[in-house]
Amino acid sequence: MRTLVLGIGNPILGDDGIGFHIAQELAKEIKDKNIDVKDTSADGLNLLELIVGYDKLIVIDAIMTEDEKVGEIYRLKPEGAGKPARSTVSPHHLNLATTIEIGKKLFAEQMPEEIIVFGIGTQQVATVTEEMTAKVKEAIPRVISLVLAELGYGKLAKASRVS
Amino acid sequence: MTRKIVIEPITRVEGHGKVTIHLDDKGNVDQARFHITQVRGFEKFCEGRLFWEMPVITARICGICPVSHHLASAKAGDVILGVKLTPAAERLRRLIHMAQIVQSHALHFFHLASPDLLFGMDADPAKRNIMGLIAEKPEIAIKGVKLRAFGQKIIETLGDKRVHPNAAIPGGMNKALSPDKRDEILSQVDDIIADCQFAIDLVKEYYAQHSEEAASFASFGTGYLGLVDNEGNVEYYDGKLRLKDSRGITLEDNVAPENYLSIIEERVEDWSYLKFPYYKKLGYPVGMYRVGPLGRLNVADGCDTPLANKEFGNFKKLGNNGVVQGSLYYHYARLIEALNAAEKIKLLVQDEIICSQEIWVNSSTINEEGIGVIEAPRGTLFHHYWVDTSGKIRKVNLIVATGNNNLAMNRSAYEVAKEFIKDGKVTEGILNRVEVAIRCYDPCLSCSTHALGHMPLEITIYDPDGNIRQVLRS
Repeated sequence: MRTLVLGIGNPILGDDGIGFHIAQELAKEIKDKNIDVKDTSADGLNLLELIVGYDKLIVIDAIMTEDEKVGEIYRLKPEGAGKPARSTVSPHHLNLATTIEIGKKLFAEQMPEEIIVFGIGTQQVATVTEEMTAKVKEAIPRVISLVLAELGYGKLAKASRVS
Repeated sequence: MTRKIVIEPITRVEGHGKVTIHLDDKGNVDQARFHITQVRGFEKFCEGRLFWEMPVITARICGICPVSHHLASAKAGDVILGVKLTPAAERLRRLIHMAQIVQSHALHFFHLASPDLLFGMDADPAKRNIMGLIAEKPEIAIKGVKLRAFGQKIIETLGDKRVHPNAAIPGGMNKALSPDKRDEILSQVDDIIADCQFAIDLVKEYYAQHSEEAASFASFGTGYLGLVDNEGNVEYYDGKLRLKDSRGITLEDNVAPENYLSIIEERVEDWSYLKFPYYKKLGYPVGMYRVGPLGRLNVADGCDTPLANKEFGNFKKLGNNGVVQGSLYYHYARLIEALNAAEKIKLLVQDEIICSQEIWVNSSTINEEGIGVIEAPRGTLFHHYWVDTSGKIRKVNLIVATGNNNLAMNRSAYEVAKEFIKDGKVTEGILNRVEVAIRCYDPCLSCSTHALGHMPLEITIYDPDGNIRQVLRS
């Protein structure tokens, strides 16, 4: 079974970089020929091209919630990650749910069967900076543990990350 | 206990493309504004960085056309170093740029614009999108995927990363093109050229069936700006600036890109984060000009490849004195360019020199200023850097393609609103049409590189006293 761990985000847009940074950390820890760890700032069809061909997909991305629980981690199914986008002025930016829906229609056989999204509540995603806000930064080790647990690296992760 | 989580989109347009329309005393359109919330502070963020880093940093401005920023930035870096590229490096840059044009134009036409044209502007927005296209005409959607994948593969080959490339550096390129990769591109390109022709036939069929709409929809006179080569052909990577007016009269020609400030000035409006560039000699806002496919084809005398040039001739016949004003013709122009770019890719990879290992020239010179200008898919893109003697950035000025079209996008919204709001009566279909009009420009509204949500259009109509009369949402 081939798994892709994909961190999405733009590292120069503050908290939006959370997925990108976590993927970079995970890449150091995960050494398994059946698991690829990638970071990307892509969306829509670019994203689709990255995920086609895997059996399982774990996405790590920044989200904004109405509750504004910054730093909180949400485990979502892709259909929970935003309603499918309809008409938009500049529909380059398809959301994850739509991207996956398109993938299932165009490349049904090649889409991952299992998709899990770890969303991290963020605060500052439209300011050009490489710094993330404190609460979002604090979430990094917890997200790493959760992803490792998801991949069966659980015990090891818990032992080393109790702090 | 279950809890409902509503996820708002992470975009710089605050989740909405927002248009406001102000009515006069008689209930007719006084003013229409298309609001853009740009990320602020990017230029500031670059200060103190080494110019060497800029091609990689600026590629992060945008997830849609990172290659364009990457190349404009590297070109500015070439000027700072005072070097001339090796023939292979220049060709590799052109190759990655043409790959970007093919994939970007294909994405826009097949996946974003074709649902408007194939299903009609009055079709339900729930259908008039890529999902509707996949459901009803999957063969067209698949062609779009194929063209995009071709362009993206070239970008990945030369730039390591699929979206944000690391291909160009000041003085040249990072990586040579291997002969086997070159052969792979060559083996696919004829098929890609054929697909571009297919798309052109498709759009021409639309124009044939909707000739009146095509000619009149958001049609208005503006100036046009673009780069041309020494023969006056459409040029994307290098060349000189040419500016024509709405009657096809050349107002500026042979302007070296480094002298862009002699013809362009920018205005700031308090209701938009995106600046409004205009042609200096005509002033603001009369000096409105359009860039991108329509701008480039309107200023040029031809295309430098045979199939695209033939189509260019047909395009020119649509306008008076070769200047085509209808915003819907952006699509035709865009596809002619995709064909031009595909043909150019073929010529580039047929030349053995593109596989040369001589791809970088170093220099110990650090000039204090560097300007890099290219034609991004959406139009002319300016990167202007000032550096200190160690090569650290002191100041940055960027004029992006969507910025160049800012005045015209506002005008398009106005033209459509005027048609659909008369004497206080708002006709149905206005929302769809404002959306279609703005979409012609393929605006890149959001430079945050991804969004996790949906981004509908919202139109707010105000009465003369500034009270909200109606809000329309897609």
